[in-house]
Amino acid sequence: MLLTVSTAPRAGAQESPGRPELPRQFIAVHKRRRIMDAIAKLSAERGYEATTIADIVRSAGVARKTLYDNFEGKEDVFLAAFDEAVAELFGQVEAACAAVEGSWPERVEAALEAFLRYFAERPAAAKMCMIEALAATPASSRHYEETVERFAALVREAGPDESGIPDTTAEILVGGVSWIVYQQIRRGETERCLDLLPELTEFVCAPYGR
Amino acid sequence: MDRLPRGRHGLAPDFVARNQRARLIAGLIEALHETGYKKTTVSQIGRRAEVSKSDFYKHFESKDDCFHVAYEEGVARIRDEIKVACADSDSGWPQRVHGALQALFELFAQEPALANLTLVEGLRAGRGVYDRYQAALDGFAPWLREGAPPPPGGNAAPAEVDLAVVGGVASLLGKRVRAGKTKQLGALLPETLEFTLTPYLGAAEARRIVSAG
Repeated sequence: MLLTVSTAPRAGAQESPGRPELPRQFIAVHKRRRIMDAIAKLSAERGYEATTIADIVRSAGVARKTLYDNFEGKEDVFLAAFDEAVAELFGQVEAACAAVEGSWPERVEAALEAFLRYFAERPAAAKMCMIEALAATPASSRHYEETVERFAALVREAGPDESGIPDTTAEILVGGVSWIVYQQIRRGETERCLDLLPELTEFVCAPYGR
Repeated sequence: MDRLPRGRHGLAPDFVARNQRARLIAGLIEALHETGYKKTTVSQIGRRAEVSKSDFYKHFESKDDCFHVAYEEGVARIRDEIKVACADSDSGWPQRVHGALQALFELFAQEPALANLTLVEGLRAGRGVYDRYQAALDGFAPWLREGAPPPPGGNAAPAEVDLAVVGGVASLLGKRVRAGKTKQLGALLPETLEFTLTPYLGAAEARRIVSAG
């Protein structure tokens, strides 16, 4: 299921008592999803620290108990939302890269396009993944760093098998791309992330020869 | 920073104040390095600096305030070191970049707490500090571009590339610092230099310069 924060079902979309009951499991998954969407939205608006459990349950339209049935607490909700968003992002980038059979620059462009599009279409998830997660809690910084590692490994794996490319190149590339995207999001121009595509493609391709 | 003798010592009051302030900043930087921003308290900083809590508040409004001052001073030190190194090295742009990176790596290796302050805590200490981290990195980007030769292809690398290089290098260093490998940063100098030169000179030329030493 997509992390469609902006179009996430709100309180009005809850099961209504007069209708035949939806399968229990469907409802449970749905509520879990709403809680995670709510923390993404709220932490993007006001920051992780200022977001309370009360805000989350109100925004998600679920009972407090439902939240605690599904999660240990605020941090757990945040980490789950982050992990899911990142899993989806990573899947899309990997698929985009694998779908192109062309040269390395063409594959880089496809992968970056998927990366940037993901954020452009999901401003709240973008802020959660690229800004709030950095410093929300020690565990969230760890999850962020592990994600950076995963992307670096993807670059190493997918990159041309050229000897002489230092091992740290992939790490610096991912760090550099993240930094540019981070600034774009902080400027409030998340929806225009795709504008960065030509520059970032050039940046990522440079170490492999033009 | 040595603490001053206790009791009557005949030192001028503003000297004492300056010394206290500098000790508090050093105390903060050490405490951050050991326990991180969130767990560092004013009492801890005072204890390390051997300055009372009430004297702390004569110099700074809060832990945040002390942090911001320490951060700005730390970044200014890095900038100064780099400037000196650039002035030392001979005229070529690649040599200047080499000199700057070398100075940066040596400074961090000698002072892991400074590396932690500027590279790690700068992103962790809260929203106000992100801006300082960003401003610090932005300050290095034009400096990198200055004097870079036109690239072999003819088109200059786009401006975002300067920021991406600086941000990428900072993130690599930050990762190593967080992993407790600050002392070994020097080993990364050749590949970081190669990476930094590449968007401007092309991969082949960058590698040639780095392998030629």
